[in-house]
Amino acid sequence: MKIILASVILVLGLTASVWAQGTTQSNVDLSTVPSRDTVQLTIYNSEDLTLVRETRKVSFKKGVNPLQFSWANTLIDPTSVRLRFVTHPEKLELLDTTFPHSKPQMLYWNVQSETDGEATVEITYFTSGISWSADYLCVANQDETEMGFEGFVRVFNNSGEEYENAQVRLVVGKINLVEKIAQLAKIPVSEVAKMPEEQSRALKRDTLALSLERAAPAAADAAAPANKPKEIVKEGLSEYFIYTIEGTETIPNGWSKRMRSFEGQTVPFKVQYRYRVPEYGDQLVRMYLLTNNKESKLGTTPLPDGMVRVFRQNGRDGLSFLVGQQIKYVPIGDKIELNLGADPEVIFELVKMKTWRDNLWMQIQGADVFKRVDEPGVEIEVNSNVVGWDDHTLFAQRIRNYTKKPIDVEIRRILPGHIVFRSSLGAKNFDYQTVEYHAQVKPMEKASLTYEVLQHQGRNAKQNNITVETVPVQ
Amino acid sequence: MRRALTTVLLGLGLSVTLADVALARIKLITLPVRERVEIQLDNPNATLVEEERIVPLVKGVNQVDFSWANTQIDPNTIVFRVIPRVEPTGERPKEQAKPEAKPLDVKVLSVSYPPNEAALVWQVAASDSGSARVRISYLLGNLTKSFNYRAVASNDEKTLTLAEYIRIQNLANESFGSTGLWAGFGPRFLKPIGINETKEMLIEKYQQVPVRKTYTADPQQFGYLDRPQNKLLIPMHYVLKNDKASQLGRAPLQYGKVRIFQEDRHGGTAFLGEDWGKFTPLDDEMRLYVGTAQDVVVKRTIDKNEQKRVAGNLYNREIVVKYEIENFKDKAVTLDISENIRALRNEVAGNTGRDVQWELGEGTTLPGQPDKEKSTFEQVVFHVDLPARGADQKAVKTVHKLNVLIKNEW
Repeated sequence: MKIILASVILVLGLTASVWAQGTTQSNVDLSTVPSRDTVQLTIYNSEDLTLVRETRKVSFKKGVNPLQFSWANTLIDPTSVRLRFVTHPEKLELLDTTFPHSKPQMLYWNVQSETDGEATVEITYFTSGISWSADYLCVANQDETEMGFEGFVRVFNNSGEEYENAQVRLVVGKINLVEKIAQLAKIPVSEVAKMPEEQSRALKRDTLALSLERAAPAAADAAAPANKPKEIVKEGLSEYFIYTIEGTETIPNGWSKRMRSFEGQTVPFKVQYRYRVPEYGDQLVRMYLLTNNKESKLGTTPLPDGMVRVFRQNGRDGLSFLVGQQIKYVPIGDKIELNLGADPEVIFELVKMKTWRDNLWMQIQGADVFKRVDEPGVEIEVNSNVVGWDDHTLFAQRIRNYTKKPIDVEIRRILPGHIVFRSSLGAKNFDYQTVEYHAQVKPMEKASLTYEVLQHQGRNAKQNNITVETVPVQ
Repeated sequence: MRRALTTVLLGLGLSVTLADVALARIKLITLPVRERVEIQLDNPNATLVEEERIVPLVKGVNQVDFSWANTQIDPNTIVFRVIPRVEPTGERPKEQAKPEAKPLDVKVLSVSYPPNEAALVWQVAASDSGSARVRISYLLGNLTKSFNYRAVASNDEKTLTLAEYIRIQNLANESFGSTGLWAGFGPRFLKPIGINETKEMLIEKYQQVPVRKTYTADPQQFGYLDRPQNKLLIPMHYVLKNDKASQLGRAPLQYGKVRIFQEDRHGGTAFLGEDWGKFTPLDDEMRLYVGTAQDVVVKRTIDKNEQKRVAGNLYNREIVVKYEIENFKDKAVTLDISENIRALRNEVAGNTGRDVQWELGEGTTLPGQPDKEKSTFEQVVFHVDLPARGADQKAVKTVHKLNVLIKNEW
């Protein structure tokens, strides 16, 4: 049904009556329906917001011309609809805008024209229901040294409206909107927080529209050659990155469309094994590490949030599926870290070898007197209690490498309390309560990394941090 | 309905715009069949299907439809790749085997996803008219794998034959003709697998695998068989080591049920029991609980529990655990005695929440030293050889003691 398919309609009234100017409405109307000339969609995926900019050719007669704009069954924000005269702006004037009480998805403009003739008008508005997402496809070679890294964007249209032959622009990144609002609205940041929510949201939208208008290239009618994938032009704008899809697209309501945004044929990467409980859980995981830079044949654009699916050539003319992982926005130059999970060919075990206690301190009940237990010549009263001691634990971190390659292992252990970490592993503090050390394990090698953890307890605990000592430990 | 015949269908249409795709209801499509299917079962959590089809393309932009029904294909994981050169596979039609005059340049322009349909549409540009071999990969749910084992021990229980099977269950509502199946290790199988079919295949048969039969006295892990009489429950295990010396060691042994049989003296086998074999990396042991050994009797009592003041409320504690052992079997066996010192401390003195600092006392009569590989900072394991019962059918009672000094407790 036409009404359903094209629900955003501009109608030029030909009756003599002028809507909403105090005269009565005629019961017999004749109208023309100018169709869209061009349409541009700017989709901002961190909020459910799309800026639509469309142009239509309208024939005006001298005098007051009523225009009806309606958007039945769509998700257009009525307060955002704006009309601008692209041609003959000096001869055309928007007198007023009326939102009729009885028909919520409709408005009327009265346009004063100084001449008879055709003019191009631009209508902009916000709609929701159009979104986009990024995803990535990685296929590593069998040796796990390089991978094909392809990026895609997928545009979803659930707005209720079909935008035919639309130029599509996708906004990447989350902007600090408050700062942006303050910058563009020329008001102090402190005032923004005090604004009523509705006003703040309106300002946010206006700000967004302003920003995007500035970035708008006038290339809506640039058609891509039909037999090659469309190029997606990326350009930075302030805190945004804007992807402009070459040519135009038609995405019917309810459909989505996925297009390649970039391709990096041979992206080098490293394999590292990591033990980091807060990030990956209590397991040693295998990581693919690469960088979004030019050396890696990437780095032309930040990578928007999206799902990365990682495959590997299995050496038998097929692929192995390794993992699907959601990544956060990766700026140009930053690292991409893909967690492939535990590797059954690398066995990682922590074994407690021995525990003992020393440096025991006693306190006489009811007195502020402390005595060390093993101090020669010191007599300790019967009514004394242990109030301070040091716990020593000897650990062996065992790693068995059954892969065909040497592996690089990074281990971070969180040790709360007042800790002394003793080893000859070249350990260092990652933070005040986390120690980090590395090891290389050759193929078929079994490594046993021993270390001692001394924990000051009770009265002996004076700090909440780790001191790393480099000493041989057995 | 186009999806009535098969559940996963590739169609080739000649429409060129998405608007046509959306609106055209009368269309002519060709249906390229599967040329090759590979099912990759190497990921522990997902099954990857790769299928190859030869798609006839016309010069210009082609529309390739891929649809499925009642199957759990994850549409976000579908990857469409054009194979650059047509490789002969043996199943290929003869005309395809001819050298191609000029390789087609085929590019995927975009993918469109129609609403409320398990389908997608690729727009593919071809430099000329001709056929292209494409590979479509996707993750498929409800096509799962599991592993199981059949172990047949020799009559003397010194070795066994271990057969490892993979079982593939196809509840994906899609049948696959001759399909390559690979578990990530072992051989690749070329088998058909139909809807709701379960297929079991032998991955490997390991012959002459040395098996160690163990009897374990471990009160903390296995508890008591008869608490009033202080008789411990003594499980019997078969222990296999996953290494080359044991005729294994080619790949980790996967988690799965192990059914254990023993050869009888009449050329047949008797079922001994079954257990879940845990995932066993290389060089690790798979312990299979076969049953309870009621002919090996171990009575455990705590003979001594004495604390000695060091200073103030700081004490050392001496504990002696006595084991009275009788072997009523007509064979000599080795008994593993395992004691968790922390649990022992908790048993006699309550749980302080602290690790135990301990050492063996001179009163220990258990033979030799603790097993270094099996013992840990709080677990001590000894091996005790027990003679077979005598000709008079009387078992020799062996008494051993474990003397532990626990230090710095309060």
